[in-house]
Amino acid sequence: MFFQFRTAWGRAILGVLLCVAAFAAYALTFPELSGRVVDDAGILDPSTKAALERKLAEFETKTTGQLVVVTLKSLQGTSIEDYGYQLGRHWQIGQKEKNTGALLIVAPNERKVRIEVGYGFEGTLTDAVSRLIIENSIIPRFRANDFAGGVGRGVDDIIQAVSVDSEEWKARAKQRPDDQPGLVDVLALVFFLFIFFMIMRSVAGQSRGYAQTGAGSRRGARGPIFIPIPGSWGSWGSSWSGGGGFSGGGGSFGGGGASGSW
Amino acid sequence: MSYTLIPRRTRILLTTMLAGLLLSGCGVNNIPTYDESAKARWSDVQNQYQRRADLIPNLVETVKGYAAQEREVLTQVTEARAKASQIKVDASTVTDPAKFKEYQDAQSALTGALGRLLVTVERYPDLKSNQNFLALQSQLEGTENRISVARRDYIESVRAYNTELKTFPGLVWASTLYRSYKPMETFTVAEDLAKPPTVKF
Repeated sequence: MFFQFRTAWGRAILGVLLCVAAFAAYALTFPELSGRVVDDAGILDPSTKAALERKLAEFETKTTGQLVVVTLKSLQGTSIEDYGYQLGRHWQIGQKEKNTGALLIVAPNERKVRIEVGYGFEGTLTDAVSRLIIENSIIPRFRANDFAGGVGRGVDDIIQAVSVDSEEWKARAKQRPDDQPGLVDVLALVFFLFIFFMIMRSVAGQSRGYAQTGAGSRRGARGPIFIPIPGSWGSWGSSWSGGGGFSGGGGSFGGGGASGSW
Repeated sequence: MSYTLIPRRTRILLTTMLAGLLLSGCGVNNIPTYDESAKARWSDVQNQYQRRADLIPNLVETVKGYAAQEREVLTQVTEARAKASQIKVDASTVTDPAKFKEYQDAQSALTGALGRLLVTVERYPDLKSNQNFLALQSQLEGTENRISVARRDYIESVRAYNTELKTFPGLVWASTLYRSYKPMETFTVAEDLAKPPTVKF
């Protein structure tokens, strides 16, 4: 009996340890989104960086899509595909609902490059197009150690690919089903309004009652009414970002794009 | 404001509503919410597998043009695709271990056959430089990657759903209000860890 109990506990502890190990294996760290060009690996010179930043900012004002160039010191033992979509989701590149975002990821130490495409760009910046950009524009320059040239040309090609029929992708930008406010949210809102109304009415009725009995209006003496707000509503207004800075728009990624190595 | 001053009917109404609020605070909606989310992730998985199946006939035709003698590998891919497409997937698939295993096995068989095809193709330089093949190959790689992302998202949302069914307070709701909600099946990790077939240039 005691032995069984101990075995069960032993298993439980082993399970917990395994979970912790699995969690540790999955916990990737991501560089801070400091701008539209995040040169974590330090392979781009300041003038190239500034020129790229300008180009990417112009792209965003023109099309509302978001494009980010990132160079990584390390892929932390995982594949660039695995790292890429998680980084895209972490930074939330691309407009919310439309998911129009893309990343150009360069991992110079692993000699890997990837174009990570958000849901909304998958129709124009297809896997095949991404692959062609990588094979024809980026890799030949990277092989010659021309990182600035490869990244610059890659960004130009990506912008061209998604700008060609930007009207079309706007129409077919996918929406993930769970991003839309559901019936439950609407019902909750109606419910709260109803409760609020009832409380107000009963309070009003009460003060009318006082008025009739000559006790004077008590409206001013009413205490604060506490109304609990469910968690999902708390996120309203939290997406505000500081002036002048750059932040992701809430877009999501699902593994679209292509990779290459040199 | 004193509670007794409120008319009786309003009081009953308020109490009922307050009870409703308290209940939703106790996670009475969690099970259906997690269930819907897991089902949405499941349809993502199915879409990506379907997308892969749609790419295959074109791929097989292109390879045939250059390497018709590789009949065995080509037949294996075609057969595995047919087998995977024949499996009927409905709402009960995710809660039925046997059906789920059947689906998963058929898709893994197709993954394996495709992997062998892409290795065979290495021996045909003309095919490898064919633009049509390159496009198909990158689409296939992209789809395999999307499949693995969709699978992982599904595994994660099923984990949340199954945990809700088995832990307090979800456990209480599962045994009272939501008796028809069954734990969902999830993918075994083995294939998830398997890399998508990649071909080096």
